[in-house]
Amino acid sequence: MKILVVLRMIPDSAGELELTSDGRGIDREWLDFQLNDFDDHALEEAILLKEASGATVVAVAIGEGSNRVLQMAVARGADEAIALEAEGDGMIDSRAIAGSIVALARSKAADLLLCGVQSTEDLFGQLVPYAGALLGWPHVSGSSRVGIEASALRVTQERGGGIAATYEIALPAVIGVQTASKAPRYVSGSKLREASKTAIGKAPSEPAGFERSAEIVALRLPGQRGSGENLGDNPENVADRLASILAAKGFAGV
Amino acid sequence: MRIIACTEGSFGKLEPFSLEMITAARTAGAAGDEVVAFFAGQELEPAVANLGAADRLVAASAGGSQLIAAESYTRLLADTVAAEEPGLVLVPYSANGLDVAGNLAARTGWPLVSYVNEIRRDGDRLTVVAQVYGGKILAECSVPLPAILMVNPGAFAEAERRAVDPSKLQHFDATAAVAEGKVRLVGVDVPNYDSVDLTTAERIVCVGRGIGDEASIDIARGLADILGAEIAGSRPVVDSGWLPKVRQVGKSGQKVKPKLYLALGVSGAPEHLEGMSKSDLIIAVNTDPKAPIFNVAHFGATCDLFDLVANLSERLQPGR
Repeated sequence: MKILVVLRMIPDSAGELELTSDGRGIDREWLDFQLNDFDDHALEEAILLKEASGATVVAVAIGEGSNRVLQMAVARGADEAIALEAEGDGMIDSRAIAGSIVALARSKAADLLLCGVQSTEDLFGQLVPYAGALLGWPHVSGSSRVGIEASALRVTQERGGGIAATYEIALPAVIGVQTASKAPRYVSGSKLREASKTAIGKAPSEPAGFERSAEIVALRLPGQRGSGENLGDNPENVADRLASILAAKGFAGV
Repeated sequence: MRIIACTEGSFGKLEPFSLEMITAARTAGAAGDEVVAFFAGQELEPAVANLGAADRLVAASAGGSQLIAAESYTRLLADTVAAEEPGLVLVPYSANGLDVAGNLAARTGWPLVSYVNEIRRDGDRLTVVAQVYGGKILAECSVPLPAILMVNPGAFAEAERRAVDPSKLQHFDATAAVAEGKVRLVGVDVPNYDSVDLTTAERIVCVGRGIGDEASIDIARGLADILGAEIAGSRPVVDSGWLPKVRQVGKSGQKVKPKLYLALGVSGAPEHLEGMSKSDLIIAVNTDPKAPIFNVAHFGATCDLFDLVANLSERLQPGR
């Protein structure tokens, strides 16, 4: 079995995000880019499948810092690393990159395409259904466990409210990972140094396959904070205020 | 124009966001537009009993299982779209909707905008506002019709619940079509709440990524004990294995409405807010003043959560 796993580098949402002067993009100059959290879980699921079934894992990364994350992927167990050329330096639009990912899945003869269920830049739709539709492969989004039995996948999907559905899916297939079967592993510095010797391949950007057709008119920061009261940043003052608020509302002294 | 509002339900219950899709459809519609609700499930009762606010209901039933895989849902929806020729399809942002919306967009070639919070009709286009970067940025988009929108649960009010007039119901049996799917449902797990049921908890202390590591959860648990609250976690905390799944709040966990919700180091991604924003009293502590959790908090503080927990525990239970 060959697994292609997609790793998207996206701006850290926990950091400060500022808009460009034309208001149509975010200022990327000082941004921290990090691996999309769900893609990190997809990588882990790919490596776990490799360990369980002897699969080969090809990691493809896109965006700022791709080489760094590909080295990490190799250190964790990926067999091959490919940096995908990105068009422009804006959002990683899953609708636009689906064509490139599908071309790679075909040229690498992948049986299973794994990626994170979504990214915070998926304004125009998610990669899993787009790639699945282009390939004509079944797809399931939001997995919390992916296993392989004979030549069929067993995929558990979080359906909300804590309800989980388990499906059997014949390969080839596309799975959008929400949570890997085990938490993503850490890698040691020595493994990372060893992995840095692995050559990183390059893949060209391919036509999207889908017109984008909707367009961003403007980005903006959400307006005012809610109507809530800001208690400030001094822990002692905040604790004083909260203690009296909790007491007044009957929550203290249980 | 005709607008299709996708709805979901299982185990005898309609997902409340189904009613929100009807409101969203009315918001996007103009006078004379028709809103058609689409439903696929084992039993039609939850749809038929509740979706009367739509002008019509197209409902596919498939025996055999409570849940229908998104693959089958999409195929049935695509048939309905081909027959009804709508100008707009609204899909809820749910586990099912994530697969449905993109696949339908690929089949039709129509534009898709996801994470939508607001919809406005501008002649033959829509202007929509969507959330990106975990709710930290709003994107205003112009969308030509026909189009597909994936709408955030909680963004629109629920339409009135009333029964569908039998003359407005179009039902077909999809059991054979569902059985042909490549994605075969082999099991459904409903969580076991014997140990804890957050949905009935009156007080919840929820920890987010800002808690840092597993050992630090005990610090929050100490405060929860003093408050008589259940400890809960956001998705990153549960995904890391620091708390069990039954203690997760949010889209893929539990939707809670306690009297007190204290969020420690929770950023408040839209998926988290969906699960707790209706709590009676929300107190949030996060060092990032722009964290979206502050948009729903009644009281917010930007101090270090560990300093706060230590000080607050001392105030609430001196000498401990």
